[in-house]
Order: sequence, then C-alpha cells, then structure tokens
Amino acid sequence: MTRAATIAAMWIALIALPWWLPLIGGYTALGSKVLIYAIATMGLNLVLGFTGGLSFGQAAYFGLGGYGAGMTLKYLVPSTPLAILIGTLVGGLAATILGPLVMRRRGIYFAMITIAIGQLFYFVIVRWNEVTGGEDGLAGFGRQDIHLGNVVIPLTDVNFYYLVLLCFTVAVAVMWTLLQSPLGHTWVAIRENRRRLQFLGVRPERYVWASFAIAGFITAFAGTLNALLFNFTSPQDLHWILSGDFVIMIVLGGMRSFFGPLIGVIIFVVAQDYLSSLTDNWMTFIGLIFVLIVLLFPRGVFGIFDRRAKIA
Amino acid sequence: MQAKVSRRRLVQAGAALAASTLSSPPILTYAQGETPIKIGMHDPLTGTYAAEGESEVRGANMALAEINAKGGMLGRKVQLVVEDDAANAGLASQKATKMIDQDKVSMLMGSVSSATALAVNQVAHGRGVVYMVTGGHTDPVTGSQCHWTTFRICTTTYMLAAGLAGTLYKKFGGKWYFITPDYAFGHTLQESYAKLLKDLGGTVLGNSLSPLGTTDFSSYLIKAEQSKPDVLINLTDGQDLVNCMKQAAQFGLMKKFPIGGGLSELEVLRALPKEARQGWWTLEWWWDQPNTPHVKEWVAAYQKIHTDGTWPSARTWFGYAGLHSLGLGVAKAKSLEPVKVARALEGLELPDEIKLQPNKVYFRPGDHQLMSSEFPGEDLPDGTYPNLFKVADIVAGDKIALSVKDTGCHLDYKA
Repeated sequence: MTRAATIAAMWIALIALPWWLPLIGGYTALGSKVLIYAIATMGLNLVLGFTGGLSFGQAAYFGLGGYGAGMTLKYLVPSTPLAILIGTLVGGLAATILGPLVMRRRGIYFAMITIAIGQLFYFVIVRWNEVTGGEDGLAGFGRQDIHLGNVVIPLTDVNFYYLVLLCFTVAVAVMWTLLQSPLGHTWVAIRENRRRLQFLGVRPERYVWASFAIAGFITAFAGTLNALLFNFTSPQDLHWILSGDFVIMIVLGGMRSFFGPLIGVIIFVVAQDYLSSLTDNWMTFIGLIFVLIVLLFPRGVFGIFDRRAKIA
Repeated sequence: MQAKVSRRRLVQAGAALAASTLSSPPILTYAQGETPIKIGMHDPLTGTYAAEGESEVRGANMALAEINAKGGMLGRKVQLVVEDDAANAGLASQKATKMIDQDKVSMLMGSVSSATALAVNQVAHGRGVVYMVTGGHTDPVTGSQCHWTTFRICTTTYMLAAGLAGTLYKKFGGKWYFITPDYAFGHTLQESYAKLLKDLGGTVLGNSLSPLGTTDFSSYLIKAEQSKPDVLINLTDGQDLVNCMKQAAQFGLMKKFPIGGGLSELEVLRALPKEARQGWWTLEWWWDQPNTPHVKEWVAAYQKIHTDGTWPSARTWFGYAGLHSLGLGVAKAKSLEPVKVARALEGLELPDEIKLQPNKVYFRPGDHQLMSSEFPGEDLPDGTYPNLFKVADIVAGDKIALSVKDTGCHLDYKA
C-alpha cells in the first residue's frame, strides 16, 4: 500500500511538474533532462543492476541515438517521431550487433570491452567531420511540430516535457514488463549465480546479449530525446565520462531497485545544476555527496525506501 | 466574542489594505525603473579551459563596472549572471536555457569552446535572444550556422590562419611543409592554410599527418628538413605540440627555417614549457601596444582590480568588448527588443577606448562577425611572463576575412 502510494505520488508530481518546478526555482527543460537521463540510466540498469554486467560504455548508444535523430532531421525528413524511431534503431542495433563481443566477458573484462567499444564510436563521430560536425557537434536541426491527423502539436518547452514524460511512461512499462517476465528473472539469476544457471542447462550468454541489446535500445531512445531537448548534440554525449556519470547516478539512487536510477538522476542533475551556479568548486561537492551516499547507504538512496517498505 | 474578534480583524485588515494602497504605487514605479537588466554569461570556470574562461569573465566584469558607473543601459543598472559550462556543450545549452527561463536575462554572451558556442547559438536563436559569442573560433558560428541573434567578438579560424599566413609568406617565402594532427580540426586548419598559400602564390612541399598522442616526431621532422622549406607549419596542440617543438629545437631546425603554427594565447604561452614556446603564431590581442591610445590605461585599470600579478589577455579583451558591444547596441537601439538590438549592432564600430587596437573594428552586417585584428608574431622562449611574445604585425580583420558570400551565412531574420 505504501509503495503504491509512493509511486502514485511520484506520477502526480511528474505530471504537475511544469506548474510547481518554476515555483521552487527550476525550469521545465531541467525536468525534461531529468526524465531523459532517467530513461537512459534505467535502461542501463537492466544490464548493470539486474543482469550484473558492468557496462561502462553506455553513453555510446545514448550519443548514437542523438546523432541518429539529429541527422534524420537534418538530412532526411523533418519529422520528430521518425527521428526518434531512427535514432533508437541506430543506437539499439549497434548494441545488438556488438552484443556477442561482450556477452561472454565477465566482471572487469566486461567493463573494459564496453568502454572500449564506447570510445570507438566516440572517435568515429569526432573524426567523421563532414557528416557529424566533428568536435564542434551537430547543429542545424530542430524538433518539428507533431502532426496527429489534423491536429498539430507545437513542441514548445512544456509540450516537449509531456512528450518526454510519455516516452518515460512507455519505457517504464516496457522495462517493468520485461523484469516480471521469465526473461527478467533469468537476468537476476545470472547476476546471483551464473554458474548454477549453466548447470541447469541455461546459456547465460544469450540472456546477457538480450539484456545488453535491450539496454542499448532504451538508452538510444533517451539519446534521441536528449538531442531534441536543445536541438544539438556533441561527441561529449558519447564520451566515457558521460558513461561514468550514468553509473554514478545509478549507484547514487540504488542499482537493485527499479526506480533507484530516477532518484540518482534527480540528485545528480539537480545538484549539478544548482551547485555549479553557486561555486566553481561544484565538482568537489558532487564527489562529496557520492562518497557520503556510498558510505552511508551502500544500497543507494532508494535502498532506504525499500527496507522501510518491507518492514511496513 | 467571536463576532467581536472578527470585527476587530476586519478593521485591522481594512487599515492594512488602505495603508498598502497608499504606499504601494510609489514602490511599484520605483521598482520598475530600478529593475536591473540582466545579462547571462556562460564560460568554462572548471576543467581544461578554466584559465581562458576566467579571463573572459574578468574582462566582462571590467566592462560591467564601467557601464554601471555611467548609468547602466537605458538608465537601468546592469547585472551579470555568470554560469560555469565546463566546456561541455550539453551543460552550456542547459545553463543558457536556465538563464533565459529562470534568471530572465535579456541577452547572452560567453564561450571558450566552439562546441558550446554552437550549442548556445541554437538555444539563443530558438528563444530569440541576442547572443554575443566571445571566444569560440569555429567558422560555422558566423558561417553556415549563423543566426540573426548571434554576433561574434573573436576571429574565425579562417582569419587566424589568414593573418599568420600572409605575414609568414611576406617575411620568409612560399615553400611550406606541414605537420598536421590527424583529426578533423587539424585537417580543416591545414586545408585553409594550403588554400591561402596557393592564393598567395606559394607551394605545399608536403604534409605529415601525426596521430594524436605522438611522442616521437623525428621521422616527420627529418622529412620536413629534407624538403628544405621556407616555413614549417606545425598545427599540433597540447602535449603533442610540446614534444614536436622540443625535438625540432634538439635537431636545430629553429635556426634553419622558421616554424609557425596557428592560434596562441597569453594563457597558453604562460603554461607552455620554455622548449615549446618557440616559433611563429598569432594572437588576437596583445597588452603591449605602445602606439595605440587607451591600451596602457586599460592594462593599468585591469591591474588595479586584479593584484594577482596577471596581465590582461586576448580573452580578457573578448569579455570586455563583448559586454560593451551589447551596451552600445542597446544604447543605439534605445530598446532591449532583440531584433532592434541586432539591427543596431550591424555595422556598429567600436570606439578607441573599447577596441584597444589600431585598425577599424566593426560588426560586419552580413554575418555579424567582428572585424578585429590578428597579431601575428614570434614567441620569446627566453622571455618572462608577460613578455612572452613579440608582435610582428597587426593585420586588419576585414582584409583577411572570407567574404560574406564565401562564409555561407544567410541571416534568418523573420520577415
């Protein structure tokens, strides 16, 4: 009951966000950014938290999604839904194709190969100057109004927020369904005891591949929205530093819980936005927050809620 | 009892209301006249470019003090909101949005990294806010991706190359060899140099592509030496530059032919080890201009505020000229309305006490690029800060800039 109430409160807060966020000194684009990063990190958490694979190159698929969407709008068709679709496919298929390379690796080797593949895409984007804009980033495209039959929805800041919220809802529904399915249970089993699963006649590699590919699609989906948020994307969106930030956000929020990454993203993005306006030494404070949370709440901030929910 | 209390409350409330209507109108008018005009500035205050960002903010603050001492803009005080973009394009867009939506800034300025300039260019245009790019050099800002909202203080990458190339060609001759870092920006820079050289009548003897992170440049340097060039152009950057220049000095190449590069800055020169602080480069402003009026006074004014032993750099001037330009534009437009300010800035010429350089400096109407000068010259390896550079020439910006047609800029004012 308490859990259901918490989740209901969360949805109400998200739907009403454009009204209350400016009152406490925020702005709508910040809300959109939080949700976009939440989709990306919750997707990554399928691999990281639920399957137990240390993926450290997830930003690559995020960035590929962004470039896919941006280049669709710039060179192919001025259509927002199509840009989101193509961007998601580009990033997701890249993860699917490269999945077999990572699915057999475990632990630190999994981390190393994912980070290497991530940097590979980063350098392709940086060097393919004529098409991607190189280090300067890709600009010169803009999100287009959405046409639903005869109704035209202009993508203003607030409307774009609701588009992101809709995408977030869809992504959450897909991930929740997956985690309740036999596939989701197999992922958790791989995390808990991969060898026992092999003795039972299951091939864990296939399931790791599925997990990695699906996470790739979901992160790329978030990446397309990220490119549309400010109508710009740059190679920094593929860089391992962003991959690292994603992992930090997940650890902050709690990698064992479904909504943990959302909490982590809120803490990270809001702290970054707020602290960096106050002091030049904001990175020190973010580091401090991270250390304190890891020391005091080893299961992430969401870990406390989970424990309380169980007691109640 | 209850009625009594509520009646007393009613009387109190009525009195308070009367008092407030009496007192509030004057407060309101006063507040409207005194609401400061806010200008948002984004610059890297952390990370690799923090020194450059800090210089730009210092320059903007000098201009801010001068503008406010003279009564502000349109009789209103000016306030500068500074945000750290960490040279990250995503963060820069976010901060620009924040400053427009939350802090209600009227205009934007800033940038060191080109990617942040292009990113904020999109945000500012999307919201119809005038944006003064202070330090992102990449050509598209006032070229293929130019917008009616965007103006730029620092010169284009093309102008940097053109300013130095002309000087080197005149001084040393037209047979050049290139060492180019093997990535996109290096290629673009090398192509503009090669094109400039051809236009001047020179020849490219060869071009060695060095991968990022090269530690041993000897094979490239030997090849360069064998081709007997008039000039060796070294376009490497960062640690590669240090390694390449060190080895060139060990080979004694500096005595055989001049080695030139691209952009340099006082902040960079100060950070470079002595071995790498050699050859021919171009700056965009220099503190030591004995024959230019107001420069000495300006440097003195800077050092009166900043007693940390630093000297103003080109970046300081970018910030200073950037905010002053916005002020001049608003004064000329007599309005804060973006379209009027943009129209007023077109063709606007900077006065002597702001331009701080000899040539005519103005915003070109066709692409919103400031026609400021290049200061090509030679590094002084044995110099001490701030005497690290000897300016050979001051080249007027409008002599070297691409024509508006060639930049690919079409300003997109709404009809």
